[in-house]
Amino acid sequence: MPKYGMTIDLERCMGCRACVEACKVENNTGQNMYWMYVFRIERGKYPDSFWFFMPRPCMHCDNAPCVKVCPVGARHKREDGLVLTDYERCIGCRYCEVACPYSVNYFNWKKPASNQYYTWKEENIYGSGKVALVTAGAVPPYRNPDHDKLYGISKKRLVSGGGHSKGVMEKCTFCVHRLEKGLLPACVANCPVKVFTFGDLSDPKSEVSRVAADRSAFRLLENAGTEPRVFYLHASEPDPLARLGLTEIRRTIR
Amino acid sequence: MSTKTQPVSAWQPRAGAGFYVSAVILLVVLALGLYAYSRQLAEGEIVTGMRSIGTMGGATWGLYISFVVYFIGISFAGITIAALIRLLNLKTLAPLARAAELLTVISLILGALSIVIDLGQPLRGLKNLWLYARPASPFFYTFSLVIAGYLFASLVYLYLAGRADAAALATRGRGPVWLYRLWAAGYEGTAEERERHSRTLWWLALAIIPLLVLAHSTLGVVFGLQVGRPGWFSALQAPAFVILAGVSGIGMLVVIAAILRSVLRLQDRISLDQFKWLSNFLGFLLIAYLYLWGAEISTTAWVSRAEENELLRALISGEYAALFWVTVALLVIPFVILLLQFLTKRYSIPWIVTAGVMVNIAGMTKRYLLVVPSQTYGTLLPYAAGSYSPSWVEYLIILGLFALGILLYMLFVKVFPIVPIHETE
Repeated sequence: MPKYGMTIDLERCMGCRACVEACKVENNTGQNMYWMYVFRIERGKYPDSFWFFMPRPCMHCDNAPCVKVCPVGARHKREDGLVLTDYERCIGCRYCEVACPYSVNYFNWKKPASNQYYTWKEENIYGSGKVALVTAGAVPPYRNPDHDKLYGISKKRLVSGGGHSKGVMEKCTFCVHRLEKGLLPACVANCPVKVFTFGDLSDPKSEVSRVAADRSAFRLLENAGTEPRVFYLHASEPDPLARLGLTEIRRTIR
Repeated sequence: MSTKTQPVSAWQPRAGAGFYVSAVILLVVLALGLYAYSRQLAEGEIVTGMRSIGTMGGATWGLYISFVVYFIGISFAGITIAALIRLLNLKTLAPLARAAELLTVISLILGALSIVIDLGQPLRGLKNLWLYARPASPFFYTFSLVIAGYLFASLVYLYLAGRADAAALATRGRGPVWLYRLWAAGYEGTAEERERHSRTLWWLALAIIPLLVLAHSTLGVVFGLQVGRPGWFSALQAPAFVILAGVSGIGMLVVIAAILRSVLRLQDRISLDQFKWLSNFLGFLLIAYLYLWGAEISTTAWVSRAEENELLRALISGEYAALFWVTVALLVIPFVILLLQFLTKRYSIPWIVTAGVMVNIAGMTKRYLLVVPSQTYGTLLPYAAGSYSPSWVEYLIILGLFALGILLYMLFVKVFPIVPIHETE
């Protein structure tokens, strides 16, 4: 049984957000839901400043606070290291979300069908024709059929993809539906500059293990004791107060 | 074994115009709350002001969870008063025993309802919380200890303590006799029966005390264990929850006692003696809570960890400053009132009730200040600060819950004597 893990090289990341886009298309997540998100972090004061970008998937912690607090065991840790949500068991108490130090959980506040980027019933979006007429009602909206299958050894749990029903929690799955087919997660596969490596962390010879052994490797919020399975390289941990600037900017824009 | 008996005929279920007018108003508020909840069920919780923490810039727990804590906190009063009467033999408080027990039962029901209302999938919740219960989650104890254990024990207590009165009312043959018969369940008031009841209630009171402390603590633990939330992660959370529960619970009991006293004209049964005792007890709990809160804030301010400090700044001088200082005032002013009364030995019911109302408002705002800012200003990664303001749906649902609670209380008072006829010693 492999133990999946990921490394993210912050020196390579140029902030193109191809991972964010790939994740959204692959997992059919709704508006405002970023299972993969990219921080833009600024250090220093202009003109003596620099930026870097920091992708943030779910950390799939070994000692996951979200798994510990789930009152019904919907959020669970698999033997291969993945932390997943059982969408058929989740009761929507959102305890996992307040427990997560990385804020990677997204709740389905709306019906997923009405939380897409475009309401496909709308007419005349491209001049004269109706979209549904052009596409014969088939696509769009596109929905990845893999997400309706059950995964895991017992094939009993609905854990893949997003947008299953309102009132349940969802988050990054490391693309469990792709992993079980032998593919890489969508964000990893779509990165143009190979920021990510992904694979079996329990195998010391795997690429991901060798990269994670780099002496610049660190994990986010290590002193929270969550034992994340995502390793960052070639930068240092961002200060949570980097947000102060962001908050100011948001206030002035409003 | 002696019983102080009042003639049964003295008790009359009063239901004048005031009762019906207030019942209609409360039913309207309850209906509005139900309408709001139907919107939430139909559209999802998008109709609330809550949003996900982090990139969505919101608070995922809002008014509902604040009021779960508030309602369950209120329940502190009943069992504490009952236990004081039974275990410490504080006969002064005996006329308030049933009013307090009823308060416990009703507030626990409201607390349980607010939890269900907060769930994204309430029907699944009612099933899965039992079917897949996981003792590793602090929520498990909120359900098993607070809702199941504590509520059940309080109901049994209320039931047993009321049997003698029910038996007496059943013989009188007026009002809902079937209810009194059912409640009395063959109680005849023999010396042996009274002795057995008294003994059972003593042990039950003793057994409920640890349940009470654990139940309020476990709600504190729901917050106190979260290492990723500055402002929550603290060992003080559990004891502070127990004490603040006492503050708002006793405060609410004072208010209810004063209302019952004037509406039902019970001046001869509920006198200044009970208020004196409650006033001193409330003052003691208040200063204990202020001490715990001070200890918590001074630790945070001294250690000065970046994320804790930012949260503290948001509370003291930032977005939440107005609410924070109002809360401080609503806790300090009642304490000063109660302390002055204690020092001068001159007690006044209006002032004690004022203090009770103030600590209850503080009980709501303090819970809000605990639940919300740690989510909007407490992220450990550099997300921009979030914001949360409750929507009309949340306000209406909370108002509806209050209306439901008051209605239940009024109905009980209408069919059953709220001040015990028999005060079993």
